[in-house]
Amino acid sequence: MAEININPAEMVAKQEKRANPRVEELKASLRLLYKNRLALVGLIIVAIYYFIMVLDFAYPPWLGVPNLNSIYVFTRTYGIVQTPISPFVLSNGLPYILGGTQYNIALLPAMLGALRFDLGVSTLVVAIGAAVGITVGTVSAYLGGVVDEIIMRVTDIFFSIPFLVLAVAVTALVAHGAGGGLNGLILALIIVWWPIYARLSRSLALSTKSLNFVEAARAAGSSKARNIFVHIMPNVLSPAFVQMSLDIGSVVLIFATLFFLGVIPISALSAPPELGVLINYSVGQAGYASNLFFLGFWWTFLFPGLFLLVFTVAANLLGDGLRDILDPKLRR
Amino acid sequence: MELRYFIIRRLLVLIPTLIGLSIFVFLLMWAYGPCNLVSVYYTVRSHNCAVIAPQEGIYLNDPVLTYLTYVEHLITGNWGIVGGSGFFLPQGQVLYYISIFFPNTLQLALAATVLSLLIAIPLGTYIGSKPNSAADHFGRIFSLSGYAMPTFWLGYLLIFFFGQGVSSFPTNVLGFVGNGLVNYHHSLPDWVSKTTLLSSPTHILLIDSLLNGDPAMFVRAVDYLILPVLTITYGILAGILRFIRAGMVDSANQEYVKTARAKGVPEKVIIKKHIRRNALLPTITVIGLLISSLLGGVVVVEEVFTYYGIGYLLIQAINPRSFEVWLVMGGTMVFALILVMTNLIVDVLYAYLDPRIRY
Repeated sequence: MAEININPAEMVAKQEKRANPRVEELKASLRLLYKNRLALVGLIIVAIYYFIMVLDFAYPPWLGVPNLNSIYVFTRTYGIVQTPISPFVLSNGLPYILGGTQYNIALLPAMLGALRFDLGVSTLVVAIGAAVGITVGTVSAYLGGVVDEIIMRVTDIFFSIPFLVLAVAVTALVAHGAGGGLNGLILALIIVWWPIYARLSRSLALSTKSLNFVEAARAAGSSKARNIFVHIMPNVLSPAFVQMSLDIGSVVLIFATLFFLGVIPISALSAPPELGVLINYSVGQAGYASNLFFLGFWWTFLFPGLFLLVFTVAANLLGDGLRDILDPKLRR
Repeated sequence: MELRYFIIRRLLVLIPTLIGLSIFVFLLMWAYGPCNLVSVYYTVRSHNCAVIAPQEGIYLNDPVLTYLTYVEHLITGNWGIVGGSGFFLPQGQVLYYISIFFPNTLQLALAATVLSLLIAIPLGTYIGSKPNSAADHFGRIFSLSGYAMPTFWLGYLLIFFFGQGVSSFPTNVLGFVGNGLVNYHHSLPDWVSKTTLLSSPTHILLIDSLLNGDPAMFVRAVDYLILPVLTITYGILAGILRFIRAGMVDSANQEYVKTARAKGVPEKVIIKKHIRRNALLPTITVIGLLISSLLGGVVVVEEVFTYYGIGYLLIQAINPRSFEVWLVMGGTMVFALILVMTNLIVDVLYAYLDPRIRY
């Protein structure tokens, strides 16, 4: 007769070896992500952009040119030159490898530095907007009744105004009301952005709410707050995360558009330029008396735009890939 | 349920939305600072604010009463005054400005919608009938780049490549320049108003020039519209193309398609009559979303191409050097009304085409 070895410690170890199902799922998702090459490319590009942003926050003069004062650096070195410096001339130094734009600001460091605003603010807006929206949407779905109805009517109002128009109006009024500046802009964009997440998470929470395990938790006497935050919200988070990764691209785009249109006075920026502003430098929108692009200085226009486009495409690729991986049924 | 009951119910749902919209716009205004709303004659930092404000229906200590007055003004057509402080806009009623600029926006939006549908339906049919082919991948990349493209950047790129002569286009025909309405220095045809430069009867130059039998003017109108319309179309094509493709792939797997194949119906007929018809129906529902992004695109494109529509007006109004609060509010209201009305029409149309939707 074979000896039956019953060792509780070993059994526990075996069970732990089987690993957490969540970790298993994450591994499977990562494998899928690796297979989806386009999404992988998107992820890598987005990661590079974020890396640049973090580097820039941590050590601003990392390119050898202080972003704020690149104009002085140039005049100190080369004297005042009216014509923008041409790109791809190595003798001008590495910062000027992509040429100079208005005031001969070095284009490459300006573009890289612009990520501090574009990515930093966008990430902040999406994170806070999502946090507010998910909380409001989930609570509203769980409570139901009058509260739910009121909150949904409020989001209806936001959806009844075209998105960019809403952003323009709210930004203009809130930012002017708040004395201009970046805080007003961030606040305005959050006001614009939370209803998307409120709607999304509400619909998800509604379908989760009727599932058996929530019923069971309620029957077992779990409190409202515990039901909402422990049982329902984790099921809302992963689709919301997909939406966030898609939205980062859109917020960057809206942000650049708002600056391009001159909704926020450029004087609100006391630090490195923003991508929309850089394009502005080139085409003379919103009060800029410059027309560099049409005078033949094509690089002043092309590079900032491409830099922006690459990021938005990458963010969309990543978002699409994540959507396929995490929730194939979800459609925007 | 009968269609008219559906329409009535849908109209009733509209009421809280409109009330909420007016409250929202009012709150924005209030947040901006009620004293700044006081007439443009007395500049923003007027010492007389407390005296003048009540005369204009702004009660500094009573937001509710002010809101009610505001709604009354909205309904009676008194949407506030523009101009005075600005360097661009001559003085006038907000509603008057909007009534002059609106037809141009309508023309741009309609042209873009028609063009994008004309491109998206055949293209979507083609790539949807061949999923995972090279054409499909191309379509995917195309629509992705449409989502991601900065509209203003694309607009200037198009101007650079195709529109270097853009300034010679007859922009003045549609325009407002300097202090007052422009004097168009060429002879205008009788069917264009000398004061507002709006053509009659529809106020849409593209249509009116045809109705009045003036091909030269039609060519000019097309010439003027072609780049802005292309720019907007590129942006909104993405969403609609993606949706048609998904619809095509979905309906291709339906049983009746298999039946049709088994019967020996030619493939072309199957795609056109069996799959596409069913795929296009739900596409109507995305038109609401489409219009939302279209109107956003309109704002940017009008500014880039100096096209005299409401979007252009709105951007002029938010210029920090001549901030026109009433115009911002009015413009936002108009854009919202367009969107709400389009959604209403789309819903009714969908209910008409697909009786299942009426529950």
